[in-house]
Amino acid sequence: MGLGVIIGVFGVLILSHAAYSTIQYRGLLKIMEEEFSGPPMNVVLELLLGFVFCIWAALTVPGKFLSIHPDSEENRIVSLSANLDFMIFNHRAKAFPLEIDMKLKH
Amino acid sequence: MAGHSDSNSSEKKSSEAMNDVPTFSAENLQNNMKVIYYSRTFMSIIGGVLAGILGFTGFMGFVLYLLVMAITSIGLIAKAKFSVHAYFDSWNRIILDGFMGGLMSFVLFWTFAYDIVHIF
Repeated sequence: MGLGVIIGVFGVLILSHAAYSTIQYRGLLKIMEEEFSGPPMNVVLELLLGFVFCIWAALTVPGKFLSIHPDSEENRIVSLSANLDFMIFNHRAKAFPLEIDMKLKH
Repeated sequence: MAGHSDSNSSEKKSSEAMNDVPTFSAENLQNNMKVIYYSRTFMSIIGGVLAGILGFTGFMGFVLYLLVMAITSIGLIAKAKFSVHAYFDSWNRIILDGFMGGLMSFVLFWTFAYDIVHIF
């Protein structure tokens, strides 16, 4: 997931660099008094590259798909929810001396 | 007896063996839906920025949105290794879910990017 985040940040940086290039291009067009019909070709390529990086990040960062079949390989381990209904305290650890006593004797 | 357990950490929709109602783990399905939602929202935002930088106005922008959503759907299906029924209970989820919410984010970032690049 760390690599996905780095690639996503990289993609966003490439997109913002492309935006900055387009702003400069528009400034240039204003000086030359021409119409804006589309960013220059290298900016389009840069946008495409940034877009591909962002797609890759969008598909890998949020996490994996988990199988929903109850009998698939990865769903074999059963875990009960950790709420109080299932916690028991009346077990044999009461045979151990209290830790408080051990600390006082020390 | 502690080892013998044929129930799951999931909720079963139905556990009758007589009717063939499919059971599935709702908790995992919810996780998968969350993954789709995050992916689609992020791609809508990126699509919006793209439309703004390219200078699209009007109808062309929405065409770009549909294109970005289609690419995202294909990417998600590829992520599910093309066996959609192992991860979802119907095709509609992986194709249509998050479409409308993504549209709002798309338009927002489209106007942001267009203003920043072309107007100021």
